[in-house]
Amino acid sequence: MDQQKDNIHFSAFLASIAHDMKNSLGMLINTSEEVLGSCTAETCPSQPLLTKLQYEAKRVNNNLVQLLALYRMDHARFTLNIAHHCVSEFIEDTITQNKPLLAFRGISLETDCPEDLVWFFDADLTAGIINNILNNAYRYARDKIWITVSEKDGYLVIHIRDNGQGYPEHMLTEKAGETPGISFSTGSTGLGLYFASLVARMHCNKGREGFIRTSNCGDSGCCFSLYLP
Amino acid sequence: MPIDFNHKKFLVIDDFGEFRSTLRRMLQSFDAKDIDDATNGEAAIELMSNKSYDVVLCDYNLGYNRKDGQQVLEEARHRKLIMFSTVFIMVTAENSMEMVMGAVEYQPDDYLMKPFAREVLRTRLERAIRKKSDFEIIERAIERREYVRAIALCDQHIRKIPKNIFEYLKLKGELCITVGDYQNAKAVYDKILSIRDIAWARLGIGKVNYFTEDYATATDVFRSIIEQNNLYIEAYDWLSRSLLAQHEPEEAQRILLAAAEISPKSIFRHKTLGEISFRIKDLELSEKSFKKAIHLGQYSYFKSPSIYTGLARVLVEKKEPEVALNVIREVRNEFRDNSAASLQAAVMEGIIFKEMNRPDDAKKAIQEAILLMDSSSECLADDIAIDLAKACFDLGDKEAGTRLIQGIVRNNHDNEAVISKVREVFKNKQMENEGTKIISSAQREIILANNQGVRMVEEGKLDKAIEYFERAANSLRGNKIINANAAQALLMFIEKNGRNNELLERAGQYIGRLGSIDPSYNKYQKLLCMYERLLAG
Repeated sequence: MDQQKDNIHFSAFLASIAHDMKNSLGMLINTSEEVLGSCTAETCPSQPLLTKLQYEAKRVNNNLVQLLALYRMDHARFTLNIAHHCVSEFIEDTITQNKPLLAFRGISLETDCPEDLVWFFDADLTAGIINNILNNAYRYARDKIWITVSEKDGYLVIHIRDNGQGYPEHMLTEKAGETPGISFSTGSTGLGLYFASLVARMHCNKGREGFIRTSNCGDSGCCFSLYLP
Repeated sequence: MPIDFNHKKFLVIDDFGEFRSTLRRMLQSFDAKDIDDATNGEAAIELMSNKSYDVVLCDYNLGYNRKDGQQVLEEARHRKLIMFSTVFIMVTAENSMEMVMGAVEYQPDDYLMKPFAREVLRTRLERAIRKKSDFEIIERAIERREYVRAIALCDQHIRKIPKNIFEYLKLKGELCITVGDYQNAKAVYDKILSIRDIAWARLGIGKVNYFTEDYATATDVFRSIIEQNNLYIEAYDWLSRSLLAQHEPEEAQRILLAAAEISPKSIFRHKTLGEISFRIKDLELSEKSFKKAIHLGQYSYFKSPSIYTGLARVLVEKKEPEVALNVIREVRNEFRDNSAASLQAAVMEGIIFKEMNRPDDAKKAIQEAILLMDSSSECLADDIAIDLAKACFDLGDKEAGTRLIQGIVRNNHDNEAVISKVREVFKNKQMENEGTKIISSAQREIILANNQGVRMVEEGKLDKAIEYFERAANSLRGNKIINANAAQALLMFIEKNGRNNELLERAGQYIGRLGSIDPSYNKYQKLLCMYERLLAG
């Protein structure tokens, strides 16, 4: 009995540490944004290093958000916060967060989203998915990312494509199944895709679940699609 | 069109100094000049009472033993320290879901999850300010209790099928329930559900079932919501209410207990849990719940004396009158210069002294209570009045007890729930026959009095009828018919003799009372329409 009590304390402890870390990371990211905002390549030779710093901090933050969400799902303390959102505004918000970094690496972003499309979904978690995909694209895209949003057969489809090397085989849904990504043998935890597929499936409407698809678009780049009913 | 931040007044609330200055710098970069900050909720409330802000950015977590962001929001909105047009944004460290689920009545205009980039803050602020101005006219109408007009305004927007049509539909559904128009409320929710299975719309359907007294269906609806979404706290509260209505207090207690575990910060929920537990003689849980409610109320604007007297009652039942007496001392201390609190404290003191076999002290306390009640201009909550009557009978003061009961019945002559509680008092005192007589004669008295006023109206003596009904309404604040007729006489007078703002204002007060007594009362909506028509004309 004592043992179990310790476990409960331990996991609550973990969650509260993660929470605290998030606060510090928040400061780190905000501060680096401020510093970067006031320096250019001419005035500040460390600009590339600072940018790298910010990128890494954001990566850690994304992972932490996902870990906290997974922790809650595991403790049955979790349901989606489904609300109706204007999708173009939602995409705009998410992109705003990522654009400066992508621009720094010379990656341009093109979006195509119907202006007045409204959909029901959990905005925090869905933003988590997209942040994660964009963060990967920062690393792997050559110089371009396309985000296309549409409504198809009762699903909201968010399609993100880049022009990099494409996904390795074990991350493709056609090969790895519904939850790609977790492959400890290749050293990739693929937490992002795992999280994405979990969150997608939690979105239900009229007996239909959400899902993700990953593919390689011909010879150029990763194709990620999120389907929310 | 970009929004001008230059002339807006900002308040930043965060216990973390670095974050305060980060936010300040972000706001300054949008050209904001007037930025105040506070390190905790108490200081923020102080600032808000002296200056009206356009935008409040408040961190949810403001430190231990402090108000949290939600409590700041509730107090600020409830005390009208911020305007309708004020944008309140809750800043959170992680996923906001739990907060969204916990906040039932007062919701912020937006949630922002830390960390956020400067540009995100800007777009969110702009959007919230715009949205606010979209809803401002409707919210002002609601503030003036012009519900029918507010519904019409919602309809105007809905017809245009805007991007945020669901927000108007949601508001319309809530307003229809407020005015007791359950048919239209159901139509709104059915329409939403035909598009999307969404929890709040199903909750709306459940509420309609509850208010139309179809408790069995309501119970099923609320249960199915919880099954799909076990964190939807509001569904637990409603489920518990419908179980109580079906006389299943044990199950109602179990459900509330589950809700309190998920969202442990609601004072109201713990108080209700204390009351239900007391009813089913689960004294341990009752005591615990009241104590919890008191503890939570420490930093909240929503603490109330009835939580303390509830706890004292449990302690009396547990044969711990000395401890109960301490609780009463605490109430007197916490709520100085609050006559309703002194009254409740005195009633409970009487009950405690009787338990301690100190009849003289008990008598003194009850006399104090009666004195306070007679001098009070406020309408006494029925439960407190019943308690006081019971205490009078217990102490052998039959006359005072009867007088109190008569007052309660007059106020509630057609309210079956209250009347049955009164019957219960007589039954416990073996005074059933006498009680029945007292009750029916008080009921008859009201009916006769009402008829007399109605006759004046029929004879066209409107000014006399107004005087008559208003006098009656002011001594019978809880009586539906009397208040309705006071309002009606006033409105008829205005209709006949032209606009009179003072009379209109008075009519509005009676209609407001009606709405808080029983919005499903058929005359309520009719009077509301008439009132709003005259207000506009």
